[in-house]
Amino acid sequence: MGGLQFTGFFQTTTLLTLAGIAAGAITLLYILKLRKRRIEVPFSPLWAEILLEHKQQSDLWRRLRRLLSWLLHLLIAALLAFAIADPHMDSEVVEGRHILLLVDSSASMAATDVSGGADRLDVAKKQAREILETMGPDDRVMLVNFNNQVQPLSPFVAEASILEQPLRDIKLAATDTDFEQAITFAADSLRDEPNGELVIITDAAGIEPNAFADVEFGEQTTVRQLKVGESKGNIAVTAFNVRRYLANKQDFELFLKVQSYFDRPVSAEVQIHADGRLVDTKPISLEAGEVYQKFYPSQAVAGERLEARVKLTSADARDVFPLDDRAYALLPEIESARVQVVTDGNLYLEGPLYLNPNLEVTKTPPGSWKYEEGKYDAVFFDRFTPQLPERGNFFFIDPQGEYSPWESRGELTDPIITQVRKTHRLMRWITMKDVNIGAARKLRMAKEDEVVASSALGAPILFTRIDGERRMAGLSFDVRNSDFPLRVAFPVMLLNVIDWFRADDDSLVESYKTGETWSIPIEGDAREATVKTPAGESYTVPVYEGSAVVYGVETGFYEISAGEVQLRVAANLVDPTESTIAPNNLEFGTTKVSRDTDSLVFDRTEIWIWVVLLVMLLLMLEWITYNRRITV
Amino acid sequence: MAREEQFDEAFLKKLEYLYIVSQKIVSGRLRAERKTKIVGSGIEFADYRTYAHGDDLRNIDWKIFARTEKLFLRLFEEEEDLYIYFLIDSSKSMTLGDPDKWSYAKRVAAALGYIGLSNLDRVSIIPFSSQLDGRLPPSRGKAQIFKIFDFLSSLEPGEHTSLGDAFRTFVTQNKRRGIAVVISDFYDPRGFEEGLNFLRYHKFEPMVVHLADERELDANFRGDLQLVDCETGQIADVTVTAAMMRQYRVAFEQFCEKLEDYCVKRQILYFRAPIQIPFDELILRVFRAGGFLK
Repeated sequence: MGGLQFTGFFQTTTLLTLAGIAAGAITLLYILKLRKRRIEVPFSPLWAEILLEHKQQSDLWRRLRRLLSWLLHLLIAALLAFAIADPHMDSEVVEGRHILLLVDSSASMAATDVSGGADRLDVAKKQAREILETMGPDDRVMLVNFNNQVQPLSPFVAEASILEQPLRDIKLAATDTDFEQAITFAADSLRDEPNGELVIITDAAGIEPNAFADVEFGEQTTVRQLKVGESKGNIAVTAFNVRRYLANKQDFELFLKVQSYFDRPVSAEVQIHADGRLVDTKPISLEAGEVYQKFYPSQAVAGERLEARVKLTSADARDVFPLDDRAYALLPEIESARVQVVTDGNLYLEGPLYLNPNLEVTKTPPGSWKYEEGKYDAVFFDRFTPQLPERGNFFFIDPQGEYSPWESRGELTDPIITQVRKTHRLMRWITMKDVNIGAARKLRMAKEDEVVASSALGAPILFTRIDGERRMAGLSFDVRNSDFPLRVAFPVMLLNVIDWFRADDDSLVESYKTGETWSIPIEGDAREATVKTPAGESYTVPVYEGSAVVYGVETGFYEISAGEVQLRVAANLVDPTESTIAPNNLEFGTTKVSRDTDSLVFDRTEIWIWVVLLVMLLLMLEWITYNRRITV
Repeated sequence: MAREEQFDEAFLKKLEYLYIVSQKIVSGRLRAERKTKIVGSGIEFADYRTYAHGDDLRNIDWKIFARTEKLFLRLFEEEEDLYIYFLIDSSKSMTLGDPDKWSYAKRVAAALGYIGLSNLDRVSIIPFSSQLDGRLPPSRGKAQIFKIFDFLSSLEPGEHTSLGDAFRTFVTQNKRRGIAVVISDFYDPRGFEEGLNFLRYHKFEPMVVHLADERELDANFRGDLQLVDCETGQIADVTVTAAMMRQYRVAFEQFCEKLEDYCVKRQILYFRAPIQIPFDELILRVFRAGGFLK
């Protein structure tokens, strides 16, 4: 047993002074002659006989009794002073603490390898609540939620009960964990506070050893980690992508990456769901820690919302982290493009277009062409350049004539393409550097034109123009006078042109990563968009420079609407680090980290209560002896 | 206390009742007249005594002289009115408590006085403390009871008790002998013997009605106290304990027994009268004892 410390309102010296004054006052009252009760008796000689007999004994007893009474009152005064001093054992935490509760709500906290709660976060919240419920009257507590962001839910407050609702409202975020940011924030918050106590309730999953050795806490700060979680058994979909084939958008290919975090071989089943329907299952076997990745080509199922699920089939293994068992992907909508080919016959041009099942091709002779607004998504002019309307998408092969958008300045023989803008949409998946061209026109570019490919001498070969509501692209040579139609690049370029005209850039609909800020392109001039989360909640986000800025922490499909624009995105955790759910111990270099709640829970023995009870007992004793005329 | 309050019609009826009851108790005896021990010119032989110079020669018993050649004088009881003196203690100790001994004493005196008046005796009431605090001259006849009532009602408590001083004055002032009914608590620091002896020595026939208040014995005061004698004002610092209270009761009992012993040994009628018992019960006890009327 240790000594005592006093935490009362008064300082010990002040209290001793007051107790001394009280003792002096009591003594003075005892020294003063006791004013005795006067009792009138009819015949004092009868008493005189008794008094004579009792005189010696009475005097002694009276003195002793008064001494006892005096000592009793001194004892009561001393006990009261002792109680006011609010004594506590040295071993108890008695001074007000600044407790910062750092609750991890990252994805790994969804692991179910816990008892006493649904998942790690549930247990963490329970532990936090227990701590809040046992705060001392002088304690100040701050509640901070962190995942890949740090979210302080309160300043340091004395009333712990007001934090219970914010604590309940902490939700799991399917994001990775930014420990460094959270711990730095906590260290900074506690550095200047007396008796700082950092309580990190986390599984510390996926951290590197000694990752935070350099974090400096204040001298008065103690650090405690309440580790939640026990297991590392997990199997996760760490990558999932789908892509429609360019030539046949009905089919798609699928890339899947599954990682086992078990330390022994396990078997699993990969399921592919399309629009909620199970469309395929694929059994897989994984060695300990193996990463399984595979393309699944030529997948042909109806539906746009694809979901990959991995399900452990080994009877002796348990996947305790279901959050990463699913991954989501979207296929672009299939929409046939209507293409008009204005030519008097060009097999090289017509062949690839007719063979593409996603294209509805109409051939028109140059003489009978007239503009039909809205009927075609793209119009290909083969060596024919009519007067153009103000809107429409037009592709020119060897543009010529008085209506040509590009003025011809002669010819260029055997141009060699040396400069290519590889990042341009028209150059997707193709190269043109080795195309042999017999002759090409030397066309004059306007300032709004963009040259995609040009010859060594700078003559534009492939170029585009966006002119109001009119999109135009052109090749400066006759394809028949080149080997370009014989190359794979030619039909691909044609499809790229069509896609560019239609702004159809979604041959791969990207999935987003939870916990990041997504920039989702939104057509039109909407200023804000409404986001509907996979859980069904809706909220509004701003649209900045044509992109909706969305921060999502749930995996699944999000529906985004802005005006008439409706689109859907998929969000996945796909974070191998976060899927590494094995709980770890946080280490902070030389700073000692406690792992339990000993001395954290405010469980003080209030000695003063017992002292006051003792005082009351003594007063009762004094009262009884007084009323029984024993001490008076 | 007003006459109406203490000695009202109901009280008088009670006295009548007591008188009737007393007659039944003493039935068979001579009615009313009580012979005094005064030896005088009566016709009933009382005693002998040796002849002294100046005695009436007619009373010499010559037969005894013939036998013994010694002169003895025959004494005869002289019949006269019986004088009953009620000596009521009016000291302050009689006034402690509520009801107090003082009221009780007056009621007892009134009751016994009524019976005395009814027996055609002469009744006199004399309150005393350290002296005689007044005097109702001997009265005779039942009609005098109202005078007694008035006198008793007008009495005020006196000072401290001094039986010796008071009775010395009494015997000096009252030459006619008779029954001296002393109604008192006998709380005399100098003792009761001197006063009673005065009565005895002056041929009065004392009768003691010892009033006591049982509440004095059951007092629940404890602790450090100042005991103040209500008569003398004497103060005693005392720590009263339960044991001490027990001792006080013992001392009081001893005091009572001492008084009773004194009376019994000297053939003085003694009645202890706790004022907690009704006064008429005391009156009946007196008559049952047979000492008041013969």
